[in-house]
Amino acid sequence: MHHSHSESSAPQLITRREAIQRAALLLGVAISPSILAGALRAQPAAAGVVGKPLNLTAKEFSIVTAAAERILPRTDTPGATDVGVPAFIDLMVGGYMTADEQKMFKAGLAETEAASMKAHRAGFTALAPAQQDAVLKAIATASQKKGKSFFHQLRELTILGYFTSEPVGKNVLHYDPVPGKFQSDVPLAEVGNRSWTK
Amino acid sequence: MANIQGAGTKQNTYDAIVIGSGISGGWAAKELSEKGLKTLVLERGRDVKHGDYPTAMTESWEFPGRNKLPNAEVAKQEKQNRTGYTTHPASAHWFVNDLENPYSEDKRFDWMCGYHVGGRSLLWGRQSYRLSDLDFEANAKESVAVDWPIRYADIAPWYDYAERFAGISGNRDGLPHLPDGQFLPPMDMNCLEIDVRQRIAAKFDGRPMIIGRAANLTQPHNGRGSCQSRNRCIRGCPYGAYFSSNAATLPAAYATGNLTLRPFSIVNELIYDKARGRATGVRVIDAETNEVIEFHAKVIFCCASAVASTFILMNSKSDRFPNGFGNDSGELGHNLMDHHFKVGAAGISEEFKDRYYKGQRPNGIYIPRFRNLNKATARKDYLRGFGYQGSASRVDWARGIKELNMFGAGLKADLIAPGPWRFGIGSWGECLPYHANRVYLNSKLRDKWGQPTVTFDCGWKENELAMRKDMKASAIEMLEAAGLKEVAGFDDVVNSAPGNCIHEMGTARMGRDPKTSVLNKWNQVHTSPNVFVTDGACMTSGACVNPSLTYMALTARACDYAVSEMKKQNI
Repeated sequence: MHHSHSESSAPQLITRREAIQRAALLLGVAISPSILAGALRAQPAAAGVVGKPLNLTAKEFSIVTAAAERILPRTDTPGATDVGVPAFIDLMVGGYMTADEQKMFKAGLAETEAASMKAHRAGFTALAPAQQDAVLKAIATASQKKGKSFFHQLRELTILGYFTSEPVGKNVLHYDPVPGKFQSDVPLAEVGNRSWTK
Repeated sequence: MANIQGAGTKQNTYDAIVIGSGISGGWAAKELSEKGLKTLVLERGRDVKHGDYPTAMTESWEFPGRNKLPNAEVAKQEKQNRTGYTTHPASAHWFVNDLENPYSEDKRFDWMCGYHVGGRSLLWGRQSYRLSDLDFEANAKESVAVDWPIRYADIAPWYDYAERFAGISGNRDGLPHLPDGQFLPPMDMNCLEIDVRQRIAAKFDGRPMIIGRAANLTQPHNGRGSCQSRNRCIRGCPYGAYFSSNAATLPAAYATGNLTLRPFSIVNELIYDKARGRATGVRVIDAETNEVIEFHAKVIFCCASAVASTFILMNSKSDRFPNGFGNDSGELGHNLMDHHFKVGAAGISEEFKDRYYKGQRPNGIYIPRFRNLNKATARKDYLRGFGYQGSASRVDWARGIKELNMFGAGLKADLIAPGPWRFGIGSWGECLPYHANRVYLNSKLRDKWGQPTVTFDCGWKENELAMRKDMKASAIEMLEAAGLKEVAGFDDVVNSAPGNCIHEMGTARMGRDPKTSVLNKWNQVHTSPNVFVTDGACMTSGACVNPSLTYMALTARACDYAVSEMKKQNI
């Protein structure tokens, strides 16, 4: 059984207040100001890197920036750098990683730089994109058999940071913070072959 | 204790005291206050009014660490963090600080606590199933532990009553061992779930797959809004679209004008009057001021959660009850149960690539128990049984993390689109009530308020471990028969430690004989008729279904009995 699907695109710039009130109107349920105030008391947004990174050196940060952009480059949709992935990774290296994890990550960045120097006699950030890809692929292949490695960390943080960012959540994935009644069967084409933002 | 405030004062006297404001306490507050009793609810944590859910509308990018907490925060909740899902930035504020609320473990026990008004009713999984006579008769038929003092017919009208108020969505499936209830319209299965259901039905007799029965509203109900398919229930629902004390029972209790709710009130012990042979009140530590205050009432309902209510009884020692309140049987603290889980299977479907869904359904499918129902389904290797909960969905972008060699524009485009359909089931199994599985007082380790703490000594035994083998093998067998690919079983017995399922039960069990049980068939302490225990502590066996609906029904039933006994002046 296919349910009819009236909305073909998600509201792009809906505010939380609008989202709550819109659903409340549809339901005929009163949402009191105190409930709304509670629901709207959101956490502060993540702080981005302005000027200096917090936990990485300037050189480490530049390698992270270049590598993250190769994993998820800018195309017709934003790249990792466009949505603040490097700043997110810099934040994670601080209070979110254990000392061992931090050590593994920083050593991995140093090894990336060393591999780049060895293969191309130039630092990673100075390489052409195809050369950067070759360096990263060699590290990826070497990391395949490891349960946890620098490259696992870099991938996880890049992909997590990208897909949980505001530009991607609102404009790349399909954003609908208050979907309403669950519709169990919808043609994928109706949502533009995009995943729902969770 | 020095400087006890309120002893005997009129302003500290109520008709009824309810300890705790979670699922059971909220129901007791509603029922007792609606029946005209001046009711005091004592909650050890902070107040939370309906709607006061700080992360309910927060998007992932608004959390500084997205889905991660800083190490300094995790360090305060290392035990609460054991579930893997509770201490997310969206929900960590609902779980206790382990450093301030310590407990000890002879064997690993994952005790998840939510100390605030509403308790774990804000955090529960919302799956709502009735027990049946298969469950109520099992102990007697198998000579396990003691017999339940009630049968399905005793509780059935109270299930009706609880469901009508709470709002349970579900389908009437006509299964004798999983009785139908007073349901709101069921949620829908998606295309792969329907397909798997049909294929399992074609290959296995007696294994129907049904839509989950959930305390999520599929239509407006009693002034609460219907589910918006956000699947952010654990944060608190601004629409009141799932059942919680905050959204449902406590507002009903307040509306009577008979409710007084006192947050930051840690009940330390029950006060027993030997001459009158009954409890006269409770002694409370104010969590903020450390002041000790006494409150008095004609009737007391212990609804603090299984282990916390048991702690209060164990800590209430008197000449009459040297081993804990109502503990003539010696069973108080024993027969601790939880459900064992984190075992099942999952697989991928290569079909339905052009199909999707809209919204995040906060519910899944259920495959009710199909073992040991009768002779035809009898097992030689274990008693009782298990049900499977699961769902199908399209795999999200996190699938990209493990494919180390894929990157670039192709990877990004692939991850923006939904991944393949995946179907997974995990089982919830019954744990037998063993006298050896227990929680006991620890006077050496004191909490922030100088109270004793508890120590857990509880573990799965042969029956549960034998059952787990079948739980995994049957899951693989069914998913392969359903045509799924890359079917892989799992059995994470280590992280299915007792407590992790957050269904603690049994430590003040109901029974027919005061010599072998703490409570009678009305959840009434055998030897102190004005004290009732209606949370998970009362369970004589655990069944394999999620237990909260049963606490609702038993609480309403016990309140009705208590008030009728008060009218007859028996209490």
